[in-house]
Amino acid sequence: MNFTALDWGIVGVYIALTLAAGLAGRKYVTNAADFLLAGRHLGKYIGIATLAATEIGTITFMYYAELGYKTGFASFINGLIAGVVMIFLGASGFMIFKLRDLGLTTVPEFFEVKYSRRLRLVAGVLVAVGGLLNMGVFLKVEGTFLTIIAGLPLSDLKWTMTVILFLELLYTVLGGMVSIVITDFIQFVMLSLGTVLVTGYVIWTVGWRHMQDAVMNNLGSNGFSPLSNPDYGWAYIAFQLLLWMAVDTCWQTTAMRTFATKDPETSKKVFFWTGFIFLGRGMMPMLWGIGALAYFGKGHDSLQAMPEMIARILPTGVLGLVVAGMLAATMSVNSSYLLGWSSVISQDIILPLRRRPLGQSSQVVLNRVVNVLVSLFVLFWGVWYVLPGPVYFYLNITGTLFLAGAFAAFIGGLFWKRANTVGGYCAMIGGAVGSVTYFFNIPAAYAGMSAFGLAALGMVLGSLVGGRWDRRFRLS
Amino acid sequence: MAFWSWFWTINFIVAGSAFAGIAVVVAFRGVADLRAMLAALRAEREHR
Repeated sequence: MNFTALDWGIVGVYIALTLAAGLAGRKYVTNAADFLLAGRHLGKYIGIATLAATEIGTITFMYYAELGYKTGFASFINGLIAGVVMIFLGASGFMIFKLRDLGLTTVPEFFEVKYSRRLRLVAGVLVAVGGLLNMGVFLKVEGTFLTIIAGLPLSDLKWTMTVILFLELLYTVLGGMVSIVITDFIQFVMLSLGTVLVTGYVIWTVGWRHMQDAVMNNLGSNGFSPLSNPDYGWAYIAFQLLLWMAVDTCWQTTAMRTFATKDPETSKKVFFWTGFIFLGRGMMPMLWGIGALAYFGKGHDSLQAMPEMIARILPTGVLGLVVAGMLAATMSVNSSYLLGWSSVISQDIILPLRRRPLGQSSQVVLNRVVNVLVSLFVLFWGVWYVLPGPVYFYLNITGTLFLAGAFAAFIGGLFWKRANTVGGYCAMIGGAVGSVTYFFNIPAAYAGMSAFGLAALGMVLGSLVGGRWDRRFRLS
Repeated sequence: MAFWSWFWTINFIVAGSAFAGIAVVVAFRGVADLRAMLAALRAEREHR
């Protein structure tokens, strides 16, 4: 048992504070726009906090640390690309400006605005399937981290997962986006403190020089150069550039922040500054993984090495503070993802299938019911599913399942006059087909590139060749 | 190898400093943003 009464006390106070703040948010919810987008009132600073908190979870720390443990400093390329792409989008406003200007609520809604209602439904199904498979492994990975670091036996993992889920579900179901934004702010402060504290302790305890030597001795030059490392290379870098462009623009939880900002200019500023946070979001946990490599040596469980090292090096009190920070990260990500995927299922699948529109209060009830159902799926998928490789690659590919097609359809819909519904269908199908090749032993980089390639090809050829059938597809 | 070692060290220093610096600014100035958001939501609710 690593935790003392002081550590449990710190975590307990944090949880009580978050729940109280989250539950307070429900009184501001009167319609679906409040529930899903906080009334589109996000300013720059709160926008940065909620976007960063949504995309920084314990799952993020775990998969990046695993990459650091397995591929050394070369893994930093992932953090660099994620940050630079977001800074570019923020500085240029490419896509995000227009997307905010359209006043959308969900990503698949764009497909109805630019293509057809039926394509919105197809996109909604793909977004929901990819998103749920993606989120399905979160609880298990996060539960593993919190169980190890608290010094509990791994047999308690299912209980840890259930408690995490129950806590975040409580305020997400009641207060929706308003509660999430309030709690995201508290969680952003806590997780930033935890991230900086752990990074400082790892460098202080293990030593920068020792980490460099450990990478050199265990991985050689492949541990430094992303070009020579067999897990990366040029194809992987190209895939990551495309993937992050797609994530930042078409990923439901990220896009919801774009849609929820006050105006397009605020969206640009939020992305620009969050991009710098994304540099550290990647590189700091990767360094923890490298620290674990130096601390334990090769041959340790790559996913468990980082939390085991942290549990050993952090003193009492600091451990409680860091776990509160990690719990904050976990809850902020999961609550946003719960809302994100639930909103797609309710707004883009269930509502379009209904013949009669639903009233505002009924829509809020529907979203709450879907929230609970999504939570149950995530809990059972986490217990049952065994990952085929590194967590990061699995998350990349399940995301690419719809991101590749959605990205091509977004680009076509926003910037190409000849883009049409047939092209949209071909892009979505091509992207999905390319990404599932990963599950047939194709390396992640090639599966990802083929997904984006097929989606782009589908968009172009489908639009050029299918022009004569477009009207029929559009009307169907 | 020496190039990559220096490259990642500099990148890490920039990334870590930016993360910590922006986190501090957002922690202080985000409070005002949050209050403005809640005030706008409250005003909309009263208006309905």
